[in-house]
Amino acid sequence: MDVHPITHAPVPDRRPVRGLRLLGLAGLLLFAVAAFTPLANRLNIWMAGLATLELADAIVVLGRGGADTDGVLTNRSLRRTLYGIGLYGDGLAPVLVLSGSAEETHARASLAQGLGVPSGAILRVASTNTTKGEAAELRRLLLPLGHRRILLVADPIDMPRARAVMERAGFTVLPAPTAATGPSDPESRLGLLRDIVSELAGWMYYRLAGAL
Amino acid sequence: MSSTTLVLIVALTSLGAYLAATRFAGLRRADLRGAVMETLECLGLVVVFFLANFAVGTALILGLRALTGRFISVYIVNDATLAVLSLLQALVFHRWRARSK
Repeated sequence: MDVHPITHAPVPDRRPVRGLRLLGLAGLLLFAVAAFTPLANRLNIWMAGLATLELADAIVVLGRGGADTDGVLTNRSLRRTLYGIGLYGDGLAPVLVLSGSAEETHARASLAQGLGVPSGAILRVASTNTTKGEAAELRRLLLPLGHRRILLVADPIDMPRARAVMERAGFTVLPAPTAATGPSDPESRLGLLRDIVSELAGWMYYRLAGAL
Repeated sequence: MSSTTLVLIVALTSLGAYLAATRFAGLRRADLRGAVMETLECLGLVVVFFLANFAVGTALILGLRALTGRFISVYIVNDATLAVLSLLQALVFHRWRARSK
């Protein structure tokens, strides 16, 4: 009887496939939790912290998203501006400081004036692109005028980093986050969670770069 | 409310597709589990491509900022389009891998 050696075909390694399936399942679960539960809303509220709406030397509205090509402010920039104008209207500070890109501050100032803020009460921060840059410009503009105590208007998710950067620049910060509950529809919740992840990445980058 | 409605719509069309597939299209019920597993594999690839795109994009932007001194916003990679493009990459790669077996 002839004996033939048994040859085995190489057994494919199934570990990568199993890993991919687990990763896919994790991604699917994350999607479901992000879209169909209030996780993003809870994080939004948590990151906003407590608003401290008290008398201040200036109301500082940080830039966010700029203006579209037609000069119209983006949703977030508009929300911040309107909130800052409202705080000015409530008499919480004598000065409204508008920050952001050149187009953004121009559109914001026009809106503020249109809504009754006197042009003499509006200060514009020179065009900057980062929160760190905004803090440096604000420091140069406001501290010589004695405006140290500021009401800081920013989105809830941006508040922790923005507040830390402003405090590091020498300001006493009173947080004034825009509406903190967040959206209620799945698509907007997904967008909010994406922004939260992005903001956390920014926070980590600032930590690593020594800006916080 | 909108969440429940969306889930209900998808559940209804999934049930419809299942009935149509098993009764009229001749698909085997036993193959459904395998199809779900393959879908999870593909979703895993989407996650891999998305993370890779995010990491490469961020590194590229920060590198260009450092090299050129020009400001490029890292918010560029915070765009929903990146997820859709990652899905496309994953689908092509998944089908390519299946055909190569």
